[in-house]
Amino acid sequence: MNLKKSVGIAVVLGIAFIAIWELYVRSLGYVSELDDNKALWAIQRAKVDKLSSDDIVLLGSSRVHFDIQLNEWEEATGVRPIMLASDGTTPTPIFKEIVEETDFNGTVVIGVAPALFFSQPGKGFMWDRPTKRLRHYYEQTYAQRANHYLSLPLERTFSFLNASEEEWSDDIDLKTLVNNIKIGNRLPEGRPPFNNFGFVDADRNVTMFEKTKTDTAFANGIVKIWLGGIERRPTPVVDSVILYYQPLIEKLKKRGGNAIFIRCPSSGKLREKENEIYSRTVCWDELLLQSGLNGYHFEDYTQLNQFTCPEESHLFSTDARIFTKELVKILLEDQQISNLKTR
Amino acid sequence: MLFNSLSFVVFLIVVLALYYSKILSWTGKKRMLLLSSYVFYGMWNPPLVILLWISTVVDWTAGKKLATLENKKKRKLWLLLSMVVNLGFLGFFKYGNFLLENFTAILQSIGIEYEALPMDIILPMGISFYTFQTMSYTIDMYYRKGERARTFLDFALYVTFFPQLVAGPIVRAKDLITQFYEPKKATIHQFLWGLFLLTIGVFQKVVLADALLSSTSDKVFDAGKLLHGVDAWIGTLAFSGQIFFDFAGYSTCAIGIALMLGIILPDNFRYPYASIGFSDLWRRWHISLSSWLRDYLYIPLGGNRHGITRMYVALMLTMLLGGLWHGAAWTFVIWGALHGIYLVGERLLKKLIPIKINAWNGIFLAFLTYTLVNITWVFFRAKGFATANDMITSMFFLNPDGSKILGIAEIGKVVIVITGLFLCHWFMRNTSMKEVSLKTPSWVLGVGWAVLFFLICLAQGSGEQFIYFQF
Repeated sequence: MNLKKSVGIAVVLGIAFIAIWELYVRSLGYVSELDDNKALWAIQRAKVDKLSSDDIVLLGSSRVHFDIQLNEWEEATGVRPIMLASDGTTPTPIFKEIVEETDFNGTVVIGVAPALFFSQPGKGFMWDRPTKRLRHYYEQTYAQRANHYLSLPLERTFSFLNASEEEWSDDIDLKTLVNNIKIGNRLPEGRPPFNNFGFVDADRNVTMFEKTKTDTAFANGIVKIWLGGIERRPTPVVDSVILYYQPLIEKLKKRGGNAIFIRCPSSGKLREKENEIYSRTVCWDELLLQSGLNGYHFEDYTQLNQFTCPEESHLFSTDARIFTKELVKILLEDQQISNLKTR
Repeated sequence: MLFNSLSFVVFLIVVLALYYSKILSWTGKKRMLLLSSYVFYGMWNPPLVILLWISTVVDWTAGKKLATLENKKKRKLWLLLSMVVNLGFLGFFKYGNFLLENFTAILQSIGIEYEALPMDIILPMGISFYTFQTMSYTIDMYYRKGERARTFLDFALYVTFFPQLVAGPIVRAKDLITQFYEPKKATIHQFLWGLFLLTIGVFQKVVLADALLSSTSDKVFDAGKLLHGVDAWIGTLAFSGQIFFDFAGYSTCAIGIALMLGIILPDNFRYPYASIGFSDLWRRWHISLSSWLRDYLYIPLGGNRHGITRMYVALMLTMLLGGLWHGAAWTFVIWGALHGIYLVGERLLKKLIPIKINAWNGIFLAFLTYTLVNITWVFFRAKGFATANDMITSMFFLNPDGSKILGIAEIGKVVIVITGLFLCHWFMRNTSMKEVSLKTPSWVLGVGWAVLFFLICLAQGSGEQFIYFQF
């Protein structure tokens, strides 16, 4: 056995295999992108501890994540918000943590995606996911931090590095590829494939994939997930959620901070379902009334209500930019946020 | 720091560069290895390096005294000090919560209302491994079985040597410290073979354990409902493969990394799923722990020197404590107890039915052993007795209405991997990877190596922790 010869063959072939695989996945339309994982989130969370009263923290689910564009916000106000919205989550545990564990006295913008927001505090995946991120923020080891920083340049370079914490159906890591194989019908039909439809940059600003707008079949696949999800949700929990927020809002205001609720657009059948299950008077209006906070519902402003979401739940990036600019204008007019550019 | 992480790749490159540079003397290299080992451990939780320091200083001092003192009483006291410190750490950090829970349960069972505040104790990574390693040194010193470490640096490096620090192999002082006395340098063949072992180990962990088996095992054991017998079996088989690839993968990485430094660590696994019987199993599974338990627990408890009954008691006690070593829960004790019962049963059966092993009955008996081992894995993996009970009844097909949660493809995946694992162990049981590689053409090994590397990249492991870190 000549190990020098073996290692030589292994290096050459190993690089060749990777190169062929990389070219193949690129030919399928995959691009190099960052994983919007707990480590990326934790970096943004760490920034909250150093913010001033002029700063903005964005909380919520994927709607805030997709619909609010950080560049446009910064361009209009001179302040780059911290994006802490996480897909498929309620903002409540993060808001609680920011109020109770930090001295932040700026403005917290809280996105209200009804099906996720009006859910029982402390229960369900919408609560567990942000809690896991918080736990990671507090418990991450130096090794985990180092691994994350080392992985960033690789993720930015190679399209085949596509495994995500979200576990999208179209991830191309070995586990997903194997788990996607379906044979026979031993199990009833499960959830339809849930494919990734956007990518994040280092500060978690999201850009929706072009194909979400151009490929109707792709978009309809995602719509199926939203509609299936909303059908399975339990009855809205309004009073408990509001009660949960009240002392937190009071505490934040006492130290000079502010919070604003926003309701980002939805379209089509999903919007119909949302309005039917989470009626505005019972949920949104009651939230504003009892919390005493200002809220901005897209339906109340023509400039915010001019968009159609390609997959019924999130704005396409060009629309998201316009939406952000218009929302910021409204918030500035109402003196809810500061404009450092004109100060 | 995990072997299957990017930070470890950078760490290893820096360590190897310094180790093979000409700027450091041998003592300088050992200091660098020691410092690197503390960095390796501290990257997880820096304050807990202090525990390593305390263990090191206490056992170094105890070892020194035990080697020089003649007074029996004083020698006993030094041994006792070492035991108290090491077992005290282990008891507090690993069993603190468990003891408190059981204390509370006992009080409540006799009608005393008592609620203890949770202690929130962090379990220091690998504490069971390094405390057993340092304890073996002082016990050997007490029985004058070995030579004491020549320098504090050699001893500190023995306690902390990063390749095997957090999950073994648990190495005896005579096998490792002596290697630190003279300058060590891997030959090119050793270095490349070490690199190959590292690749195999990472492949076992990232591809086989994490990418192919863990999700099935997690799905089954976390199902929270009664399962169909097939699903329960497949989940258990998946776990049997996962834990083997996870732990053997770590040991293979450790042996490979040490070899790249020119240091030889002993084998920790020898194709255990092809064991014929349970005595054979424990000579093949986690060899460094089973030999530790044999030498420092089973033999001191009397071993086979005081009659059959005493031997069985010693065997059972050893296995029960071995179970508890793996985790602070009664399910682990049951796991140990089952292995104890298997060992006792096997010895009794051997007396009654002498069997001559050949290839035909051998594979059948190996399969039977593996099947019985799978029963024990249920208690090892289940989070509580309720889950274990549900799983066992399902595995005996006593829950015909149990839920089906695995698709045919997933069942097929586990069957293919586990059949491959079992056959591989069977065909390798009397040989070694080294021997097989010597007969393999270089180009075949090269192609295989490239495939392993490609699959590791394709798996994109997110740095999942090794199961045995929690022990």
